[in-house]
Amino acid sequence: MNAQVSKLQPLVEMIDIQKSFGGVHAVEHVSVDLFPGEVVGVLGHNGAGKSCLMRILSGAMTPNTGRIRIGDEDVRFLSPQDARRKGVEAIYQTLALADHLDAPSNLFLGRELKTRWGNLDDRKMLEEARRILHRLNPNFKNLSDPVSQLSGGQRQVIAIARAIYFNVKILIMDEPTAALGPAETAMVADLIRQLRREGIGIFLISHDMHDVFDLCDRIVVMNRGRNVGAYHVKEVTKDDVLSLIIKGEMPDGWRPRDAASRLQPGLDSN
Amino acid sequence: MSVEADRLVGRLAGFKISSDALHKLSALFTLFMLVALFAFGNAAFLSVGNGLTVLLQTSVIGLLGIGMTLVIVTGGIDLSVGSVLALSGTVAGLAVKAGIPVPLGMAMGIGVGALCGAVNGIVITKMRITPFVATLGMMLMARGIALQITGAAPISQLGEAFGRLGNGSLFRVIGMGANGLPKVIFPGIPYPAILLLVVAVAVAFMLRRRSIGRHIYATGSNEEAARLSGVEVDRTKFVAYVMTGALAGLAGIVLMSRLVTAQPNEGVMYELDAIAAAVIGGASLMGGVGTVSGTMIGAFIIGVLRNGLNMAGVSAFIQQIIIGFVVIMAVYVDQLRSRR
Repeated sequence: MNAQVSKLQPLVEMIDIQKSFGGVHAVEHVSVDLFPGEVVGVLGHNGAGKSCLMRILSGAMTPNTGRIRIGDEDVRFLSPQDARRKGVEAIYQTLALADHLDAPSNLFLGRELKTRWGNLDDRKMLEEARRILHRLNPNFKNLSDPVSQLSGGQRQVIAIARAIYFNVKILIMDEPTAALGPAETAMVADLIRQLRREGIGIFLISHDMHDVFDLCDRIVVMNRGRNVGAYHVKEVTKDDVLSLIIKGEMPDGWRPRDAASRLQPGLDSN
Repeated sequence: MSVEADRLVGRLAGFKISSDALHKLSALFTLFMLVALFAFGNAAFLSVGNGLTVLLQTSVIGLLGIGMTLVIVTGGIDLSVGSVLALSGTVAGLAVKAGIPVPLGMAMGIGVGALCGAVNGIVITKMRITPFVATLGMMLMARGIALQITGAAPISQLGEAFGRLGNGSLFRVIGMGANGLPKVIFPGIPYPAILLLVVAVAVAFMLRRRSIGRHIYATGSNEEAARLSGVEVDRTKFVAYVMTGALAGLAGIVLMSRLVTAQPNEGVMYELDAIAAAVIGGASLMGGVGTVSGTMIGAFIIGVLRNGLNMAGVSAFIQQIIIGFVVIMAVYVDQLRSRR
C-alpha cells in the first residue's frame, strides 16, 4: 500500500529547466520526472543537451531558470554536495576518478571516514571498500593500487560503488557501459535491474538502443536542447526513437503501439 | 646507476614495490653515493661539525621545499617563495628593530608570509589566473615591497635574541679544556634542523592522515573528478598556498636569524632550489604526486652537493651546472621507470 502510494509520487520533477551559455541554448524549457523503481532513458545526439540536463540535476551545473522538486520540496543545488544530501548521485561518462589515489580513497573522496580525532580512518575505509567492491565484483583485487593501473571495468565498478553506497535515491548514469566489455556490460545491466527492484529511480543516458529497450521503462528524447518526446518504451519502436533523435519528431502517421501503458508511468513490472 | 640498484633491490626483496617507494629508494641511494663520494675525497666531510653545517644549510631549502611540495601536488607551483622569504625576514627584522619583542616580530614575519600565500590563493582560485603567472607576480611584488620598506639596505644590529633561532642549538655540550678554557664537546643540534624535522613530520602527517591532505592529492590528480566528488577544490588550493607562504615566512625568519641581519636581497632564486628538491624527491609538476619525505631527500641531495663541492673547491658556477644536471636526470629516471 505504502509502496503503491510512493510510486504514484515522483521521486524528482525537473520543471521548465532552461540553461544557456552565452547565446547557446543548451537546455530549453525541459521538464522530466522520475518515479521510484523506474529507469528513464535520456536520449539524443551529442550536444542535444542531455548531459547538461543531468549535470543540472546532479548539482554540477546550475540552471538559469526552472525548478527541481524532490518529494514535496523545491530544491536548489549549488554543488554536487547539495544534490548528494538529497540522495542524488551521478556516474559520469569520464568516470571522475582521481587516478593517483587508490580505490578506497576514490570511493570515499569528499566524505572520508574519520577516527575520533578527525584523522583519516584508512583501515576502516579499506575494509568497507573491500566489502562494497566485492559485492559488485567478487574478483576485485588491487585495492591499494592507484586506480590508473586498473582496468576499465574495475574503474567503472568503483564509480558505480561510489554512487550507490551512500543512500542513493536518484541515480544518474551517463553512458555507464560505453567503455566496457560484454561481461562487464552484463554486470552493469544486472545491477541496474537490482537497483530498480530496490525502488531507486535511474536516469540512464545511453546511445545503445539495445540497452535502452532492455533496461528502460520510459524514454525522454532531446534534440537541440528541447524535450521532443517522452514515451513508454512499449509505445515505440527503435525506428521511432531514431527518428526522434535525428529529426526531432516522430515518423509521419505515427501512433502509439500500446497506448494503455502510457497512463501508468512507473508501474511497469520488472 | 640508481635504476639498476632499484631493480636489484626489487628483485632481491622478491615483492612488488610501488613506483613511489622505488623513486624514494633511488633518491636515497643517490644521496648515500654522494656522501660516500665526498667522504672519500675529503675526510673532513664526514665530521660531526660538517654534518651539522649541512643540516643547517639544508633547513631553509627544506622548509621551502616542503611548502613547494604542497602546491606542486595540487598541480600548481609557487615562484614567489624566495621573495616571500625576504619580505617575511625583513618585516620581522623591522618589527624587532622597532622594539617589538622577538617572538612577536617573528610571528609577524610568518603572518606576512601566510598573507602573501593567501593573496596567491585568491588570485589563483577567484581570478582564475594560472599559478605560474600569479606567483610570478607575487615574486616581483614581495621582492619590491621588501626592498622598498628597507630602502634596499640590510637591517643589522638586531640583538642576540633575534639570532637565537638561527644560531642556537639543542644538547650543546661544553666541557672544560685542558687549558682551563671552555671547550665544545658536542656543538648541539641546530634549532633550524629541529624546526625542519618538526615541520616535515607535521606536514607529512597532514598529507597522509587528514582529509585536507587527501583532497590536496585528489585536486592535483584530477581537479574535475575531485570537484564532482564533493571536494572543495578552491578551498583546498587556497589552504595549500597559505601554508606554502607561511613556510616561506618561517624559512625567512630562520635565515635572517642565522645572519642576525634582515636582508631584502636574500633568497633570490631559492624557489628554483625548492622546486628542484621537490622534483628530485619524486613530485610531479603535473600534480597528484609528491611526498614530504621525498622532498627532504631531494633537499639533502642539493645540500650535500653544495657542501661537498664547496669543500672540494668547485666554483659556484660549476655547482649550478651540476645541480641543473641532477634535476634533469632525476626526472628522466622517473619517466623511464613509469614507462616501464
